[in-house]
Amino acid sequence: MTLNRDTILAIFLLLACGGLMMASFEIREPDYGQLSPATWPRVIIGVLSFLGLLYLIQSLRQGPDAPNPDAPKGLREFISHWRNVGWVFVLFLAYLVSIPYVGMLLGGMAFVFLLLNALGGLRNVVLHAVIALVAMGGVWALFTYALGVLLPTGDWTGF
Amino acid sequence: MVWDNLMLALGEVGNLTTVALMFTGVAVGLLAGAIPGFTIAMAVVLTLPFTFSMPPAQGLATMISVLVGGLSGGLMSGVLTGIPGTPSSVATTFDGFPLARKGEPGFALGLGVWSSFSGGIISAILLVLFAPQLAQIGLEFQPWDFFMLVIFALTVTASLAGANLIKGLIAGALGLLVRTVGEDEAVGVGRFDFGSDYLLSGFDFIAVLIGLFAFSQLLSDVRDPVKARQALTDRGTVKIRIEHRRAIRELLKRKFVVIRSALIGMFTGILPGAGGSIANILAYDQAKKASKEPETFGKGNPEGIIAPETSNNAVEGGALTPLMALGIPGDVTAAIMLGALLIHDIVPGPTFIAEEPVLAYSIFVAFFAANFIMLGLQSGMLRVFVLVTRIRMYMLAAVILGFATIGVFSLNNSADDLWTLFWFGLLGFAMRQFGFPLAPMILGVVLGNVAELNLSRALAIDTDITLFVTRPWAMFFSIIAVFSAVFPLFQSARERGARWTRFYAPAMLAAVALPLSMMDGNFRTGLAIASLCLAAYLTWRAVSAKPA
Repeated sequence: MTLNRDTILAIFLLLACGGLMMASFEIREPDYGQLSPATWPRVIIGVLSFLGLLYLIQSLRQGPDAPNPDAPKGLREFISHWRNVGWVFVLFLAYLVSIPYVGMLLGGMAFVFLLLNALGGLRNVVLHAVIALVAMGGVWALFTYALGVLLPTGDWTGF
Repeated sequence: MVWDNLMLALGEVGNLTTVALMFTGVAVGLLAGAIPGFTIAMAVVLTLPFTFSMPPAQGLATMISVLVGGLSGGLMSGVLTGIPGTPSSVATTFDGFPLARKGEPGFALGLGVWSSFSGGIISAILLVLFAPQLAQIGLEFQPWDFFMLVIFALTVTASLAGANLIKGLIAGALGLLVRTVGEDEAVGVGRFDFGSDYLLSGFDFIAVLIGLFAFSQLLSDVRDPVKARQALTDRGTVKIRIEHRRAIRELLKRKFVVIRSALIGMFTGILPGAGGSIANILAYDQAKKASKEPETFGKGNPEGIIAPETSNNAVEGGALTPLMALGIPGDVTAAIMLGALLIHDIVPGPTFIAEEPVLAYSIFVAFFAANFIMLGLQSGMLRVFVLVTRIRMYMLAAVILGFATIGVFSLNNSADDLWTLFWFGLLGFAMRQFGFPLAPMILGVVLGNVAELNLSRALAIDTDITLFVTRPWAMFFSIIAVFSAVFPLFQSARERGARWTRFYAPAMLAAVALPLSMMDGNFRTGLAIASLCLAAYLTWRAVSAKPA
């Protein structure tokens, strides 16, 4: 039997529901309050499990996935297909990790500049640098000086 | 009293700073609406962090301005380039673009601008009239009724996913589940924290909304490397003069189309989950059916612009009505407005208008004023709207992602919220890829606490769970929740010509007659009798009709 992607997702959902239901028994039961803190999550997980089961049945009835002409074939096409999403993912992750060290201003500028080059190519590096500097610098200044928000500074940079 | 509140609200909204912010908000909304791939909800949710430090009335006025601008912004790119800026303006392109190509872009834009304005103003008037009345009804609601109202809202939203009803319901339940992570609000016990302080503090729901909606949308927008580098459009001209007088004359000639479309928009907006994307198609369809020359639709018929543009701007008056009267948002953008109110420790509900009259009237005033500002800016900034659609998507995406991080951090001055943004952005993107609608999840996240709180209150009053389906209002919401859940099944069966679908409407009317008959007041008893009579008539018609 060939599983379609909905079937795999439905199985994953049911497993997650099972795990969460077990985790709900770890929730402490206080001696006070009419509704136990675990009741509402269990109701939702119960409903979600039932829906997951319906989803599984529905996915099994629909059979294997129809061939998608736009789907990437082979590793090369797969990488090309998901390249931009991958760049956003990796650069955003790097940005979040770097904030305590370089601060939000510098980290944000670097993130936008690198993302612009990753997504748009290296032909407009100067334009990308200007966009990153002006856009992030402007919003950082707006939040810091006009709205009075203390944005994170970096341990290495001090700003 | 009303006059006093109105004057106080004018004082709140009419100051120079707020007016300037409203102009900026409308302009931002118009620009966001003009860019294909950017949704109005995304614009509103990204505006939210900028409004934290503002007084509530000022912040809400700014967000309403973005919303009103966004609803109208899609018109420009739709008429001039044939590419709708937002899903709310899809139907506008059917006749707007052909009319522009016939050499009358100024007239097409004039019709669109004035229809948008008319729809907005009519719905603002209806909002002012209906919200207090609905709030009076809402005062009758007890926790059982509120709980079932939330369930109804989620079911209707999920049913709008059409063939993906199960996916819609799963998304709604996931939204409710996300809200349970962290400390329980009633007794302060940690849930699903797995020993992590990050999880124990729970997910900030604004960060969740921005992640689910904005981050995931941007990921989708740049997924295709070729499209990400292309200008959004290179079509369209900027040398146009909007023909205001001719458009106004045309609208006056077709005032019934305007009123009908505004009512369609208002009603669609009141329905949880249904928004401008549905209203504009419905209004267009009705205009075509009612027209004496339906064959001219799609070829530049003015009514084909008037109907969708009036209805999509009327939607938000409808969506704000249940939000202000009951605390239940009518669509995703109203859900974000609810988030904005909660941030300022204002919990909308049936007593909201009575207890916070100045803020409530400020919302009314801002909604009116934003429509006037929209009218002025749409005419004056035409050139900018066309030019903005020539920006490359990857540039917008990168900059907006950068903005979003600063905005999300400022929610609680916490880096944890940035991780929430990231994880929920990925979750939203994955859900989009697998065909899960995000609107039910958003409503689930926003309404999760309301549902749990009312469940807890209801059980504290009485442990009898049958009250969730036997109290009149709870029964009413249960019945329409069931019928809305069956609606996608009904739609597909009707297309196949299944005989049982003829009995769907009479069955629903007969079913709702029961809770109506249990309610106090002669009007509702009369409504129940009328419902039963209509159900009987429709049943008779269904039985006597020849098989298809």
